[in-house]
Amino acid sequence: MGKLKLYGLEPSPPFRAVKLTLAALGVPYEFVFVDTPGQENLSEEFLKKNPQHTVPVLEDNGHIIWDSHAICAYLVSKFGKSDSLYPKDLLQRARVDQRLHFETGVVFANGLRSITRPLFAAKLTKFPKERYEAIIEIYDFLETFLKDNDYVAGSQLTIADFSLISTISSLEAFVKVDPTKYTKVTAWIKRLEQLPYYEEANAKGTRAFFSMIEKANFAFSS
Amino acid sequence: MSGIVLYGLDVSAPVRSCQLTLRALELDYEFQEVDLLAGDHRKEEFLQKNPQHTIPLLDDNGTLIWDSHAIVCYLVDKYANSDELYPKDLVRRAQVNQRLYFDASALFMALRDICAPYFDNDVTEISQEKADNVRDGYGHLETFLGDNPYLNGDAPTVGDFCCAATASSLPAFIELDAEKYPKVNAWLERLQELPYYEEANGVGARKYVDMLKDKLTLL
Repeated sequence: MGKLKLYGLEPSPPFRAVKLTLAALGVPYEFVFVDTPGQENLSEEFLKKNPQHTVPVLEDNGHIIWDSHAICAYLVSKFGKSDSLYPKDLLQRARVDQRLHFETGVVFANGLRSITRPLFAAKLTKFPKERYEAIIEIYDFLETFLKDNDYVAGSQLTIADFSLISTISSLEAFVKVDPTKYTKVTAWIKRLEQLPYYEEANAKGTRAFFSMIEKANFAFSS
Repeated sequence: MSGIVLYGLDVSAPVRSCQLTLRALELDYEFQEVDLLAGDHRKEEFLQKNPQHTIPLLDDNGTLIWDSHAIVCYLVDKYANSDELYPKDLVRRAQVNQRLYFDASALFMALRDICAPYFDNDVTEISQEKADNVRDGYGHLETFLGDNPYLNGDAPTVGDFCCAATASSLPAFIELDAEKYPKVNAWLERLQELPYYEEANGVGARKYVDMLKDKLTLL
């Protein structure tokens, strides 16, 4: 049986969401670096694997899977000793799925990528208030989701926490989470930072992402 | 009676993807209109059910679920006699999931990024960047279809329902050029052949497009 291959790079939040999941499952894999700043994801070889040319991509015994959320769900279903990270119970699963879709749309696409895409491509350094407000809206929703729970989808850690923390920790490059306003979000971040694999799977890559942003010398328009 | 209630509006793409799925599963349901313009979704009663104040919202005999993608997967897993709409095989499921996350991020966000500023702040201009996001969405769908009739192969899945509901709404802003995107065009026509498609998606999509078509201008 071939080893798992994970294609991507450390600064990428969805890549880190998968890293967190693999670490939590204790599943070994080979990391294959994809130079997206250098547009390696647009090479013919990569497009054959993933025509949407995004990272991360998982290769498992010849099967190619992309989209971090689809990958995380697949990994838990296939390798998890229990289903706690992605519950089989239909209602619990629907809650996790809703958080994952919230992450991909409201958080990743509308919150993060709407800034990083023009930033890294056209090298813009000033952004409208709309983008700042999108991030505040995210933090507001997350505070609500965590109102009665230690984790985003309930009382247990799930892949929804991994997906969201990878992007939230990255969004702090633009807007810091105010600890007096967002007490639940702040506590949740600290809780996840206690995970033994957090440093290697997410903190290190978040720092790499911050470096990329700092170089761009960024500011919100008022 | 199934005891299922779907909250939403027929012009909403994600609501229509749930309608397509409910009809495909032959489930009866009660439709409860949520008047977004009147702010129904931000009233206390609705917020108690869905703190993210979005539509659609499903009430399955007291079980509340929101986000169209979570809803459609739940419905198939719970009620379907077989798994074609959302395969249990892990690799095939992951491939359908990829289409669902693509709809939630690339397609729907491209739509929301244009219609939300219009409804909230009367923004009637569509920037080049936002227009390109829609065209990228069409382009990716064209690629995903490849040589297959549907997004995940030979048969429709919830991936098709969600992406088609959004793709049939995007022409409100950017026309779906049939010469540039022939496979997407053919796929939407193919889905129209489903006996429930017109009622579950066709009517609402046309209403959405007619409502917005001449209101916004491309920069």
